[in-house]
Amino acid sequence: MSVVWILFVSSVIVLPTVALLALRWAVRHGEFKNLQKTALSIFDEEEPVGRMTDRFPGGQRSKSSQP
Amino acid sequence: MSATSPSILQALSPSDTEDVAQRRALLAEIDASCRGTLMLFFGTALVWLMIGTVFALITSWKMHSPDFLADIPWLTFGRVRPAHLNAVVFGFASEAAIAVTLWLICRLCRAPLMHGWVVNIAGVFWNIGVAIGIGGILAGHGTAIEWLEIPGYATPLLFVSYALIAIWGIITFRFRREKHLYVSQWYLLAALFWFPWLYSAAQILLIMEPVRGVVQATVNWWFAHNVLGLWFTPIGIGAIYYFIPKVLGVPVYKYSLSVVGFWSLALFYNWNGMHHLVGGPLPAWLITVSIVASVMMTIPVVTVGLNHHFTMWGSFHKLKDSPVLRFMVFGGMSYTVTSLHGVLLALRSVSEVTHFTHSTIAHAHQGMYAFFTMVMFGAIYYIVPRIIQIEWPSARLIRIHFWASAIGIMLYIVPLTIGGTLQGVAMINPDVPFLDPNKYSVVTMTVPYLKVRSVSGFIVLVGHLAFATSFIWIVARWIKAARQHQPAPIVSNV
Amino acid sequence: MNYGPIIFLGVFLTIASSWIGLVLIPQVQFGRQQEVKIEETGEIYPTVRPGLAQQGMEIYKANGCIYCHSQQVRPEGYGADIARNWGQRRTVSRDYLHDNPVMLGTMRTGPDLSNIGVRQTSVLWHLQHLYNPQITSKGSIMPPFRFLFEKRKAGDKPSPDALALPKEFAPEPGSEIVPKPEARALVQYLLSLKANAPLPEAR
Repeated sequence: MSVVWILFVSSVIVLPTVALLALRWAVRHGEFKNLQKTALSIFDEEEPVGRMTDRFPGGQRSKSSQP
Repeated sequence: MSATSPSILQALSPSDTEDVAQRRALLAEIDASCRGTLMLFFGTALVWLMIGTVFALITSWKMHSPDFLADIPWLTFGRVRPAHLNAVVFGFASEAAIAVTLWLICRLCRAPLMHGWVVNIAGVFWNIGVAIGIGGILAGHGTAIEWLEIPGYATPLLFVSYALIAIWGIITFRFRREKHLYVSQWYLLAALFWFPWLYSAAQILLIMEPVRGVVQATVNWWFAHNVLGLWFTPIGIGAIYYFIPKVLGVPVYKYSLSVVGFWSLALFYNWNGMHHLVGGPLPAWLITVSIVASVMMTIPVVTVGLNHHFTMWGSFHKLKDSPVLRFMVFGGMSYTVTSLHGVLLALRSVSEVTHFTHSTIAHAHQGMYAFFTMVMFGAIYYIVPRIIQIEWPSARLIRIHFWASAIGIMLYIVPLTIGGTLQGVAMINPDVPFLDPNKYSVVTMTVPYLKVRSVSGFIVLVGHLAFATSFIWIVARWIKAARQHQPAPIVSNV
Repeated sequence: MNYGPIIFLGVFLTIASSWIGLVLIPQVQFGRQQEVKIEETGEIYPTVRPGLAQQGMEIYKANGCIYCHSQQVRPEGYGADIARNWGQRRTVSRDYLHDNPVMLGTMRTGPDLSNIGVRQTSVLWHLQHLYNPQITSKGSIMPPFRFLFEKRKAGDKPSPDALALPKEFAPEPGSEIVPKPEARALVQYLLSLKANAPLPEAR
């Protein structure tokens, strides 16, 4: 039965403990702060918020797909 | 934690005053660095898509006309069906997924793909592995383990190529110049890590050193359900999280929801899978755990759905203009529908009816095609013109592709879900005979639905032919352009 | 959430948990399961298949029979498996001890085969059914497996191995259909599919 005990200890105690410690660390280091700011990280001056970046070919050309 | 020098980080931080021209050069440099590798992956993925579609049509036709091609051993139903699955899953879908993942990682890290030739070699070997695997299945060497049919002599090749690709993705991530980790990156990095774990564990425990008895079934379904949930789903969701906001030019609706969505998926999805064994020779606790986890999947599905659909809210008229948006929104909506449907299917009382019927097959295609494949099509339409700097040649072909794929797959899913459910209702009623050519019986009642499925397959084929034509056309233009004038060398500052 | 290592840690922990729960624990629970002696008959169950049936299993596997036929009987009250006479009792983990691979299956385009060796005991029935399912099961959508048989020129009198066929399925006069060894092995495998031993845990 020793294998079962190792499994029990590792899955029920060790894994959740590590997870909780990591969560505490993350909260303390502000990992969950200012989230909405990251949502803007995919935009820049080249392709700013408010500009569509895809069009059917042949219509009005989108800026970034021009050669 | 990034390995880049602080000066580069500083130069690219949002507070800098660098002019736009330089940023454009960086974007172009990133796109150009992926060019050869991505075109290799997309091109071969397309070949597998066409091969997989042909296998699909043969399989579907055989289901209502069993004499069709019946005398060729390597085209018997039980070999063509897994050949179809492996061609579209490990050929098309995985190659498209790898290419989209690499490009998204480069873009989101604002770092070019370094030494792309390593990934190219891995890509070539991956293709050889899939080809040997499918050849082996058709030759009768299939393993008869669902989703893992590729014979043991081809899988090490697949695993090594995959490992190389994943390592390259993670190295690119280490050299990132963007300090923000966008939500798509969480999903993509997680998928790169999860897949090799799943694949190697399943290979070792089922094919190399098989475990005994029914443990094989639990390993099989732990793998088979997770290859959807922890490999294709995160890449599909990650892609939608990038492309819908990027195409619209609108940030994600509620970024904090994406944190909930990601961690609840990570926590619950990998415990699914055993519900494929409901009623089977396994302890009740295993199956119950999976059913509970399936129900919990409503959390990530609803949060991700809210984020995707509310980002889109008020912009539906833009679907008219953007091909990428059409595919992405279709994929995103299918994800919500298919996942909630999946929760229902996992319930014991529903499963009693639908288990062992065509309704499961319809559900699988809803996930793999209506969601994942449509998202990959959208991503390919966005990425290819940017990496080779040439526009898609024909808007009409893209429209044909979208409508044929969308209508075709709906015509597949809806009738087959209904037919499969009715098949299940008949199957659990012992008064309905299993097979009787003159009466309503479990076997014969499915035939009309199976015929509709074959029709839907031809419609999907039309879409794929339009896609292939577009792709060959754009590649031809690319080669022509490359011949006419040598492109200016790209200045690399890495 | 901009710190990579913490995401990797979380991703590692989640998959490790289900790997332990759904792979390792079932292995601990069932990995060392053994044969038992059936009280009623005094026989050891389950037994390893004889060689020919084992070869037939390879034919079953190679031709993807699993994609339409399951090998599991659901318990009384859950589905109509027992009412349809697919088994006298539910199947349990011990039934699959010597199966490699374990072909439980997820589709019932055709009937369950856990007890096909109990339901259909005739070699001739199986050979005819494999040669052309319409002979024994009219309206079936199972593909014919004619490639497991060969057509030979018949001598003056039919050879003893020749397959007896009804008139409308018989080859033209002067030739005969003979099952290849693969077909015979496959039939032996099908006949060996019997999950009917009265196990105490299956009651």
